[in-house]
Amino acid sequence: MARTLAMFTDVSLCIGCRACQVACKQWNQLAPEEPEWTGTYQNHAHFTDKSYRLVRFFEQPNDQGSLTWHMMSDVCKHCAQAGCLEACPTGAIYRTEYGTVNINQDVCNGCRYCVSACPFGVVAFNENTGTATKCTFCNDRIHNGLGPACAKACPTESIRFGFRDELATKAQKRVDELKKMGFKDAQLYGSDQNGPLGGLNAFFLLLGKPSIYGLPEKPKLPQRNVVLDSLLSIGSAVVVGLGALVAFRTRGGNGDA
Amino acid sequence: MEPGLLKSSDWPFLIDLYFFLGGLAGGAFVIATIANLLDGRRYRDVVRVGYYLAFLAIIPGPILLSIDLGLPTRFLHMLMVSKPSVDIGMSAITLGPFHLKLFSPMSAGAWALLGFGVLAFLAALDVFLEDRGGRSIANLRVAAGVIGGFFAFFIAAYPGVLLGATARPLFISAHWLGALFLAVGASTGGAAIALVLSLLGGRTRESLSQLMRFTAFALIIQLATLVLFIVWVSSAGSVGVSHALASLLSGPYGVVFWLGAVIVGLVAPLALQFGGVIKKAAPAMVALVSVLVLVGGFIVKYVIIAAGQVVAS
Repeated sequence: MARTLAMFTDVSLCIGCRACQVACKQWNQLAPEEPEWTGTYQNHAHFTDKSYRLVRFFEQPNDQGSLTWHMMSDVCKHCAQAGCLEACPTGAIYRTEYGTVNINQDVCNGCRYCVSACPFGVVAFNENTGTATKCTFCNDRIHNGLGPACAKACPTESIRFGFRDELATKAQKRVDELKKMGFKDAQLYGSDQNGPLGGLNAFFLLLGKPSIYGLPEKPKLPQRNVVLDSLLSIGSAVVVGLGALVAFRTRGGNGDA
Repeated sequence: MEPGLLKSSDWPFLIDLYFFLGGLAGGAFVIATIANLLDGRRYRDVVRVGYYLAFLAIIPGPILLSIDLGLPTRFLHMLMVSKPSVDIGMSAITLGPFHLKLFSPMSAGAWALLGFGVLAFLAALDVFLEDRGGRSIANLRVAAGVIGGFFAFFIAAYPGVLLGATARPLFISAHWLGALFLAVGASTGGAAIALVLSLLGGRTRESLSQLMRFTAFALIIQLATLVLFIVWVSSAGSVGVSHALASLLSGPYGVVFWLGAVIVGLVAPLALQFGGVIKKAAPAMVALVSVLVLVGGFIVKYVIIAAGQVVAS
């Protein structure tokens, strides 16, 4: 396995220009969509089969009695423990040698299980092809020595691309810097490989709690439920089986047999 | 879990129908197997109808799933696909073009559907040969019945485990869905056999009484697991979960849940059964109870899946 690649999105540098969103659409040749009015500059409300990068905008009441304007360029997290990848019954979703998560469009059979298994609502279903789609980490570019199109286009270096270990060190430095500057709630999301989902290969620097950005505080790998749920089902099966044995051992009401 | 972010599979009615028929098939198969093992001759009617029903109810399974996927060949991808050997997840077993992913209930379910389909066919074939005046191959029936019984339980329960392994707030903290779906499979399987027997008439009153007793027992398990499911979900207590639970227990889905799943599917049949249907087993009343159980069994699965897939706007 090659060295793991990562994207680091620093929201403190994001200016909400959405160049990343446009660059992503261009490079990946994603078709145009009807604009969607969300009440903010955000368009669309969710990731779609034609929008793999999505700049989200949030307003949050602050101590000064006004609003703080947050913006964050969101993307597939390429989780080290990926719900979509584990859910996929066809093996279409696989992990590349760089640690990123990809969907093989020829193998995907359109069951949509991955769509509901993603803890971040990233995977989207394409009605035209009948397959699931999401950010590929610009698989074609990274295999040819280029970074993802979004990172290349970002004018403020809010999105950075590189080796995961190096980026994580840089990210930690940036958090310390921001804290010194007075952003006391600055924190990393997903950079810790011992954290939830084994760490995210697209991780973030946030200026407040993850919930401000609509992110789950502690995302959970849905497949962790399989063992317990199965055991409870087996318990239910044993009880039902014994019930059937007893019911058919006992004579029926009028007992004409 | 934040509600605003998550997406739904938007599984249509076809999937609910498959989950319902799969559960029914599994339940009917297990009942037929147990009746056959206890006394195949005495319970001949239960065994016949049970194995026939199990086979007939599982036939639409692959058809419904293929319609949902758009192309019949796409269903094959669940089982096999030619691909370079890549990392496709933890505990994935690959053998040539075939693959099984133990932590993907959909992958395991596809294999189980294949296995159950074959065994349900063999059991039904054996019954058919006997009906045609031939001789039952006793060993075949017992082997297909016992091995198929494990598959049958799996087919009934796995959709619940499958839902539990998604990020949907109503499902991820539930844990009891597999157990609930299994109980629904048992009650609807028993009710389906009882309905057919009550309509066929003949000397089946003892069987009807026993089927009603078993169905009542399965309904109690169904009620218990439904309560445990709701208790477990509500104790998870995050924003997304309370939204999801509210959409199940109140609003439009709430009406369907309380009226369809609880009153029609549980309270009414249990009241009738303990009010004399188990004891007297009058065919008309057995048929009525069975229809209530079948309708309620479909609705409880439908409404949980539908409410769990509602996406907060």
